[in-house]
Amino acid sequence: MRLTVNGVEHDVASPPLATLLHVLREELVVTSPKAGCQQGGCGACTVLVDGEPRRACLTAVAAVDGAEVTTVEGLGEPDALSPVQTAFHEHYAAQCGFCTSGFVMAAEALRTRSNGDLEREEIIEALSGHLCRCTGYVKIVDAVAAS
Amino acid sequence: MKAVGARLPRYDGVAHVTGRTQYVDDVRIHGTLWCKALRSPHHSALIRSIDTSKAEALPGVHAVVTANDVPHNVYGHLEGLGVPADEPLLAEIDVRWKGQPIAAVAAESEEAAQAAVDAIEIVFEEREPILDIRAAADPGVDHFHQWGAVYPHFGPHNHRRVRKGDIDQAFDEADLIVEGVYRPQAIEHCPMETQVSLAVPEPSGRLVIYSSTQAMYFSMGVVAAHLEWPLNKLKFIGGTVGGGFGGKVDTATETIVSLLALKARRPVKWRYTREEEMLTSSTRAPWHIEIQDAVTNDGWILGRRTLTLHDAGGYARFSPYGVTKHAFHHTGAYTIPNLRFDGFVVFTNRVPTTAMRGFGVTSVSLAVELHMSRVAEQLGIDPLELRLKNANRVGDTTGNRVVMHDPSTVPVVLAAADAAGIELGADYRAMTPERRNGDLLPEHLVGQQAPDGEHLATYRGATNGGR
Repeated sequence: MRLTVNGVEHDVASPPLATLLHVLREELVVTSPKAGCQQGGCGACTVLVDGEPRRACLTAVAAVDGAEVTTVEGLGEPDALSPVQTAFHEHYAAQCGFCTSGFVMAAEALRTRSNGDLEREEIIEALSGHLCRCTGYVKIVDAVAAS
Repeated sequence: MKAVGARLPRYDGVAHVTGRTQYVDDVRIHGTLWCKALRSPHHSALIRSIDTSKAEALPGVHAVVTANDVPHNVYGHLEGLGVPADEPLLAEIDVRWKGQPIAAVAAESEEAAQAAVDAIEIVFEEREPILDIRAAADPGVDHFHQWGAVYPHFGPHNHRRVRKGDIDQAFDEADLIVEGVYRPQAIEHCPMETQVSLAVPEPSGRLVIYSSTQAMYFSMGVVAAHLEWPLNKLKFIGGTVGGGFGGKVDTATETIVSLLALKARRPVKWRYTREEEMLTSSTRAPWHIEIQDAVTNDGWILGRRTLTLHDAGGYARFSPYGVTKHAFHHTGAYTIPNLRFDGFVVFTNRVPTTAMRGFGVTSVSLAVELHMSRVAEQLGIDPLELRLKNANRVGDTTGNRVVMHDPSTVPVVLAAADAAGIELGADYRAMTPERRNGDLLPEHLVGQQAPDGEHLATYRGATNGGR
């Protein structure tokens, strides 16, 4: 199996039913997707698979063989943030930061689909599968609206 | 003063939004083993036998530890403050809550570690669990705790007490007595990052411990005490916490991975599963709070009697501290001159409880605010005007003799009224937090006032005797 992760091609040695989260974190050491619940409930492991947000913890790696995977490490660099990353930073949308990677990836996918002004309801709908226990949801929605 | 009033970027914000923040689970040390624990499947039981030999013989298993492997097994979280110890790191004979750790394994993978846990042979003798704080101290209950149903070490008493003024006289003089019972329930902190730590043995003999703790030096002390090691053999790396809210104050994983790392001579990591976090990590305590207020028809609260039961779960941990804070806040943001408060820490066969955002305070604040509204309703008085009338003022003393020098009740209630669009009477609208006088200094509040300018309650007021 092969995966292209953030533009770099990798052979995958993990078994086919290993989760994409396991392959990213343990085999390829891409650690921004988090093992928050490993049950599909929290959204902290969200990555883009061929541009679509997916729960890495529920995705068998064999099911995405050959795909292009993007994680938050593949967006802007610390000195050249993407518009979504800039907005999260400037609007204080990250507190402890553990859920941030997942929120940023979901927001990136939303922004790719829709470049113009977004209704708050659209943003809330797109982020509804993500939990933040520091409960900074207002700032997160503000950030996405401003991105 | 560059920071006050300025809008500064978060120091860790760029790392968070670029995925560069390194949490404990992101640390990669070559050769790291995974930890899994054998936990009690029963609320209350005695361990009749335990045999780990089959687990130890499984492929990929590098170490198994039980209570016998802990140099100093029973250590209290508040031992440094003189609170005696009651909780073992790993259960010895008796288990007091469903999920209590009994043994732990370090193996090459999470799966191998879980297989080894499943291979530990253990025989329990179940006991009838005690799950209701109101029934725990009933006559005839054969309580599991060596100290009995309640924590007994509040100085000479078996509960936290507050006594101020003359409570019986207040109740004799009252026009009405308003009673209420309030039961805030347990809450799991549920941080996005579950409990996690990683212990790495160094060739020097030192241990490096990566920890998600909220309390670095406290955790260091706990690990050192269990291992009977000096602090200079431990190096803690922490300060990056994926949410805690009080749930990462108790030292949950660090000591056990340390023991396993020393025995296996390999790095060992323990990351709770979400299920483990929800079922076995400590919670905010459930409480049972009974309040009786002696009130006058024109809205003064002359006296308050309070009985609080705080559910500690199976062991004391920080609960005595929580109930002490609860006691200090049991009058809320209001001045009540005559008080009798009795707060008990009760042991039940629940997961031990701990700090959570306003430890011990939010529970009593909820009860007090609900009760204030109940008093207002029964008297037919506006609930905000009742609060303003009894609000803390400069020079007032609390139940534990703290003198108010900058109380915020009045401005906060006025701001709340504004935000909610509630009209207040002109007298109330004009209120300030300044010292009481005139109609706001009735006879029953004179004795509780500290002398003007006094900010420490070193005096003994006329009615401040104990009872």
